[in-house]
Amino acid sequence: MLWRYIFFRVLMLIPVSFSISVVIFMIVHLLPGDPIDNLIRVGSSPDDRAALITKYGLDQPLAIQYLRWIGAMFQGDFGEAIVLRRPVADLIAQNLPYSLALGGLAFAFSSIVGIILGTISATTRSKIVEQFMRGFILLGSTVPGFWLALLMILFFAVQLQWFPVSGAGGWSALVLPVLTIGFGGVALVARVTRVALLDVKREDFVMLLHAKGLPSYKILFGHLMPHALLPVVTILALRIGWILGGAVTVEFVFGRPGLGSLLIRALGQRDYPVVQGCLLMLALAVMLGTLIGDVAQAAMDPRIREAKT
Amino acid sequence: MHYATKSRLLSATALIAAGLISTTAFAQEATIAFASGELGATSYNPVTSSNLNSATSLIYDRLVEQDADQSYHPHLATSWEESADGMSWTFKLKEGVTFHDGTEFNAQSVADWIPDFADTENAFLVAAIDAVEVVDNLTVKFVMSRPEPNLLYNLASSFMGIPGAAAYDEMGDNFGVTGAVGTGPFKLDRFDIGLETVLVRNDDYAWASDLSENQGAAHLAQVTFREIPDQSTAFLELKTGGVDILLGVPTDFLQILKAESNVAVIQMPGTGINYMPINVTAPPFDDIKVRQATGLAINQEAIVASIYNGVGAPAHNFLISSLPEADVDPALDVRHDLDKANALLKDAGWIMDSDGVRVKDGTRLSVKLFTQNGTEFTSLTQVVQAQLADIGMEAIITVFDSSTIRDEYKENRHQLAVRGYDWNNSDILDWFFSGKRLGYPNVSMWTDAEGQRLNDVAMEESKNSEERIANFKAYHEYILSQHLFVPIYQPTTNIAYNTNKVNVPDPIRGTRFRAQTVLDITVAE
Repeated sequence: MLWRYIFFRVLMLIPVSFSISVVIFMIVHLLPGDPIDNLIRVGSSPDDRAALITKYGLDQPLAIQYLRWIGAMFQGDFGEAIVLRRPVADLIAQNLPYSLALGGLAFAFSSIVGIILGTISATTRSKIVEQFMRGFILLGSTVPGFWLALLMILFFAVQLQWFPVSGAGGWSALVLPVLTIGFGGVALVARVTRVALLDVKREDFVMLLHAKGLPSYKILFGHLMPHALLPVVTILALRIGWILGGAVTVEFVFGRPGLGSLLIRALGQRDYPVVQGCLLMLALAVMLGTLIGDVAQAAMDPRIREAKT
Repeated sequence: MHYATKSRLLSATALIAAGLISTTAFAQEATIAFASGELGATSYNPVTSSNLNSATSLIYDRLVEQDADQSYHPHLATSWEESADGMSWTFKLKEGVTFHDGTEFNAQSVADWIPDFADTENAFLVAAIDAVEVVDNLTVKFVMSRPEPNLLYNLASSFMGIPGAAAYDEMGDNFGVTGAVGTGPFKLDRFDIGLETVLVRNDDYAWASDLSENQGAAHLAQVTFREIPDQSTAFLELKTGGVDILLGVPTDFLQILKAESNVAVIQMPGTGINYMPINVTAPPFDDIKVRQATGLAINQEAIVASIYNGVGAPAHNFLISSLPEADVDPALDVRHDLDKANALLKDAGWIMDSDGVRVKDGTRLSVKLFTQNGTEFTSLTQVVQAQLADIGMEAIITVFDSSTIRDEYKENRHQLAVRGYDWNNSDILDWFFSGKRLGYPNVSMWTDAEGQRLNDVAMEESKNSEERIANFKAYHEYILSQHLFVPIYQPTTNIAYNTNKVNVPDPIRGTRFRAQTVLDITVAE
């Protein structure tokens, strides 16, 4: 049954990706400005400009340009960057590992720490711990990343000199960026976990379990958590796409390459093929995340898979 | 280029061993952070790239070098001769120069390299060269399709660093990415796009230009260039020793840097101008009197003092001061004169109203003032707005990103704009004022028969550099007489370094921070 559900969901991705590719292409091409102005330099003639527009096919109707792009994509060809002068696939391949390392670690960190903190705050009876958790969650969801990044650098890299200020040389350079991004994620995951646990705690069956004399930890891990983790898994799955592109400001402050930074640079220069390639990657990651989330939910809860197939 | 783990381990072991043997010796290394304007290079291929950074000049040498006073100096070419009609150039080449792959640099290397530019975006650099003839092993002749008095300027540009022909053909699209071969004082060791470039010393180097004290191999054994987009982070790296030299420090950071005891700052004359183009097709600026009054309203000296703390120089015409074409009739220079500005506006029919904004036939003197985002222009635009208010002109600021603002210019939706350019050659006049480039780059939207005639003469009919200077000066003076823009400021290029780590020569020779300076950098004891 689960396999049928997965198959159906994967099949749905095809029309969705197709529509997304149209939207991405249109948005990118309708932006004011064009890449050629970022390519020509003082000394080149007005004719050079016209020749470049023809060379990159920018004088063709948008529909033709789109079909050319999507046609090449079907053959696995992301195209050639106009301003950045490299194959788009190469550029993405160069930046992807940095994004995966940073985003992946931040994701793991915020998931694990978030669930632990959320659980503690939902189960504790200490007012101080609860107040502290509330404050932490509020701070974590509101502090802007670039500001936290600078604070982290000032304290841990400049004052204590435990970690390098910036760069991507080795594991030590990953610590501060991971903590910076993870901080917001921890707060989010902790909040969702806390709310979900508190909801489940109020259910009748929990009272029954207590009445049966089951130890609290058994109730928590054996009965509360499986229920409460459903919404947490959904939130986490949605954040998978964000692993790839959600770290732009933090990448900027810490001087790290990454898909987000590549996208922003290419967008500023209107390097259409690169922007399209990056956006499509991000969209695919989000879709994949949603898919994983749905499948995980279906696997955990038979009601979902029956309702949806 | 990626090392195998094994060789990494080996070199790490070697490093540790070396450290144990002589703990007193300083590592002959320096880490340099790129200026924000040169970030994002994706290749060190000078022939095909549209964006090259400072590290490029360390890998490749050029035939000639240009100094800050715009004079040309021999490098791989020891001397050159232009024929009287400008239709040929003959270069004598330096003997004993070798590429990083061991092949010899000679006349054939030049003959192999020039044709590589065909069909690239950089082809305009060699457009006037019809053919390259090898006269003898160390003499090469360019046969020209038209006189090109600007040839030396092109040859001194980073884009005309000379690659090794064999490696260039062999590596194809990967040349400049996975490897690079030039004759420069450093070899490309590793290039992590968007992160850092590691260069190692070329021990055979013995052919520096006379812009360097050091005529042999560099003092530094290794130079690492890092890309740090955030200026605050770059500053903190300098402070904590993660970076030894910071290129392109923003002027507003200078005060903070000067407060650091271990940081020294070198100011180089800049290579650009900040200015305010005036759209001559947008009323009220179709009236030359209004345009002239707008120029007279801007107080360049006050701007340099108040915004830039006296760093840099006021601009009174369109070209940087070190260019001979900037030396125009003083009467044409644009200088602050409020009385004259007010008289001109009154003369043009704009009468001061009670609210401090002038009015003509019921229309208020309210204009659009565009600028692009980025801290560089924000405060400058606000001060310009305030100074325009002094002549009864209300300026409303709109901020755009750099790509969008070009569309606004092309759609002719602008009136005034605050912007800047970075270019140390008088052909910038053609770029911004040619009638063939209306909208952008010709933001002034200016077409004029006499202007185009002077442009054509300067661009195409100059036979030699004296003629070219005279022709561009005449074109520049005519442009100034038409009040198409307001010159404002000549920024400096600021370089900061950690005095505990390195010694950097001051003043820096050359138009930019390049190989000629890096050759002279030593590690501080």
